[in-house]
Amino acid sequence: MANLSELKNTILVQLFKHASWLSARWARHHRFIEAEDIPWAPMKKPIRETVIAVVTTAGVHLKTQPPFDMDDPDGDPSFRVIPSDVQTDRVTITHKYYDHTAADRDINVVLPLDRLRELAVEGRIGGIAPSVYSFMGHIDGPHLKTLMEEMAPEVARRLRADGAEAVFLTPA
Amino acid sequence: MGLLQRAIEAEGIPTIGITLLKEVTQKVKPPRALYLRYPFGHPMREAFQVDQQRTILLDALKAVETITEPGTIREPGYRWRRHRFRLRP
Repeated sequence: MANLSELKNTILVQLFKHASWLSARWARHHRFIEAEDIPWAPMKKPIRETVIAVVTTAGVHLKTQPPFDMDDPDGDPSFRVIPSDVQTDRVTITHKYYDHTAADRDINVVLPLDRLRELAVEGRIGGIAPSVYSFMGHIDGPHLKTLMEEMAPEVARRLRADGAEAVFLTPA
Repeated sequence: MGLLQRAIEAEGIPTIGITLLKEVTQKVKPPRALYLRYPFGHPMREAFQVDQQRTILLDALKAVETITEPGTIREPGYRWRRHRFRLRP
């Protein structure tokens, strides 16, 4: 039965990857935490002087860190801290709800650290914040509360302490 | 991801997120988004396509610098050209 459920998941992952109308339909019918107000923090200086931090929900982590929990159907609301100067062959992805074949070959498909470093060397950004904060998406049920009330504010505080002046986020 | 983005912005740090699902972004309402019609798993497009990855990153940084209206979803309109309909074993 486990194999059958894995196969079903694999097929769903491919369907949602390639049939955008299916994803759109899911989005219309799924319940989200919807908002009216929108938080806003204005940019204080040009991007070439701004320290950029990266946050991802693509399930990236260091090979030495514990993987995200794939057994809980509501996902894993925890996060991993990855040094932003990491050698990209030291990271991996644990996430069974999207096809990360391409990102396994080149992590820049979901976490463009090499591209960001190039921009830093060229002086097109002010710098790169020391830590990447990495989550897995696909959070639902009781974990949404944990994400919203504990993990997200914690990461926001850490980003501020890191000296991040703008944050770039990538999904799965 | 939009929820995380909103929490970071609420802490006083400007944010920009890539989105592959405009319908979700319209509901969750992050402060700034860059929408790409790419398959899941490909927010920066394809492996080893340095020019595309760089262009998308620069577009995102430009967006965080220039968007002034909260909730803006910017659409560069790049098309995904190569479809692969293979199932993984």
